[in-house]
Amino acid sequence: MIKVENLYKEFQLGKAQQKELDTKAKKAVAVDHISFQCQPGRIFSLLGPNGAGKTTTMRMLSTIFKPTSGSIEIAGVDAIAHPQEARKKIGFLTGSTGLYARLTPNELVKYFADLYKVSDTDFKQRKDRLFNLLDMNEFQNKRIGKLSTGMKQKVSICRTMIHDPEVIVFDEPTSGLDVITAENIISLIRDCKNEGKTVIFSSHIMSEVDLLCDDMAIVHKGKLLFNGTMDEFRNNQQEKTLTGEFIRIINEANTATA
Amino acid sequence: MITKIFLKELKDTLRDRRTLMMMIVIPVLIFPIILNITVGISSSFEKDAATKNIKIGFVGDAQSSVIQEFMNMPKNIGKFDLIPYANKSTLEKDVKLDSIQMGVIVPNDYLENERKMSAVTVQVVYNVTDLGIKDRAEKYMEVVEKNAMTKRYKSLSLDETKLQPIVTEYKNLASKKEMIGKLAGGFLPYIFIAFGFIGCMYPAIDLFTGEKERGTIETLLTTPVSRIQILVGKMMVVVLSGLLAATSALVGLYIAIKVMNFEGNEQIMSIVQSILTPSFILMLFFLLFPLTVFFAGVMIPIAVYAKSFKEAQSIITPLNIVMVLPAMVGLFPGIELNTITACIPVVNVVLATKELIAGTLDTGLLLLSFSIMVALAAVAVFVSYKHFDKETNVVL
Repeated sequence: MIKVENLYKEFQLGKAQQKELDTKAKKAVAVDHISFQCQPGRIFSLLGPNGAGKTTTMRMLSTIFKPTSGSIEIAGVDAIAHPQEARKKIGFLTGSTGLYARLTPNELVKYFADLYKVSDTDFKQRKDRLFNLLDMNEFQNKRIGKLSTGMKQKVSICRTMIHDPEVIVFDEPTSGLDVITAENIISLIRDCKNEGKTVIFSSHIMSEVDLLCDDMAIVHKGKLLFNGTMDEFRNNQQEKTLTGEFIRIINEANTATA
Repeated sequence: MITKIFLKELKDTLRDRRTLMMMIVIPVLIFPIILNITVGISSSFEKDAATKNIKIGFVGDAQSSVIQEFMNMPKNIGKFDLIPYANKSTLEKDVKLDSIQMGVIVPNDYLENERKMSAVTVQVVYNVTDLGIKDRAEKYMEVVEKNAMTKRYKSLSLDETKLQPIVTEYKNLASKKEMIGKLAGGFLPYIFIAFGFIGCMYPAIDLFTGEKERGTIETLLTTPVSRIQILVGKMMVVVLSGLLAATSALVGLYIAIKVMNFEGNEQIMSIVQSILTPSFILMLFFLLFPLTVFFAGVMIPIAVYAKSFKEAQSIITPLNIVMVLPAMVGLFPGIELNTITACIPVVNVVLATKELIAGTLDTGLLLLSFSIMVALAAVAVFVSYKHFDKETNVVL
């Protein structure tokens, strides 16, 4: 389970960043007092346009960033007070594949298993399962730098799940993938849910969100615009499609703050 | 966990062709190549200058003893054709045009002055750009002057040996090892510093800026490994790469001296072998290890701060000059290791290594130099950690 309460994050702006953002402000608020919960056995979708604060939120969940204020609980562990403990329980798939090009999938997955202190027996069992499931055996000893985008994403997913985390964060996992690979990954995410894991899923593809997610939050300019179940979202939907409704909510927020 | 990170980063680094080139291939090959080219060129020039047949013009009486001596010159100094000239200006013009390589100008009153037993000035002209010709001119004139002097002693019925009341004998009591240590000993740490720095540079950029650029650092930071463990594991690879590059350069230099066939290389080789004892190598690494940690500690905060490989490279490359400049101090004669110089980073390592080679190193000063470098390395590691711990520095 993930429990986020009153989460707030601001960044100090240097001169270069002030110039880049065309502002004289010395601070920028990335996440503005947001609260949500993700339950085990459910898929929670975090949506928002670019620069909304999704990645910062996910980086705080995975303890890369420390919140300015607020609290995060990952599978019963206070992630701010005990970040290393929290990291053992979370698997984080970043937006970029983030892999070591000069290693092979086998070496990379073993390296991460070692960092998570996975026993040799567990490693072999999980690796065999994931490699078979994602059809990775053929290229397991090839250098990652020579693999296709789809193959790399499979390696990335395998790395994320090798320590069998209770909570998994998928940041745009199907981005840039072909239909078959994307479908395999969607099926794997569904398996995670069925196994009782807590899943956070971020995507720009609304059809995937509609298909996969149980709960949803929409973030814009660091603030939470919607937080509820997919059914609640659909019931209050004013536009014909999910994408249309999402755009309507964002535009409404923009008009209100203008 | 540090070992796991270290081993993975080492494997990753050793698979990077660019780093491998900078770390092992170039340092090993550079000295054999440079020495081969320089020794080859200089020996071919020397041989050429000593044996080639040159043209020597002269102005003056061909019957004068100077010209006669030239005509009877021993052939082992170098062959030449003697060409008479009517006047000085034509001769000088031809020397400048390199039609002739040397000119001897004997004054008109030479025979008269010779009879009077007065001193006569004989001018020798040559083209200054050809240094080999100057050597030959001096050798020819040495023969001419010596024979003229012997002739004059004879005509005055004087014993040549009695006209030299004092014979000075210069004897250097310093051993060859000491002389090499003091004169050329600074060269060894200079190589180590230059290559150690280059060796650290690529892995530092690749393991910090490169990881940031490729997004791999983000995945590493989500593992239950502390940042200090990640930093130390990576830093160990950077330091090892620096030490490997520097050692490779020294191995290259050793091979170059051993394999190259140049005058005196056997003597140099025996001295080098007497210097390279296991205790010397151990002491050298004892001094150079904190220096390499210091280099890594200087580069890592820059590599962590930089947003791209290019940016990191553009900041670190000029820093190379700043680091190597104090190393050059060690090449100057007269600067010795004392309580003041032992406190100056980099300079202290260079001077201590010089003393180490000469076998004159004071243990107190060695410990002082080592302590200064260790303290500096510790500061560098701390600064690296502070930068690496700053969240906005580690992800883009």
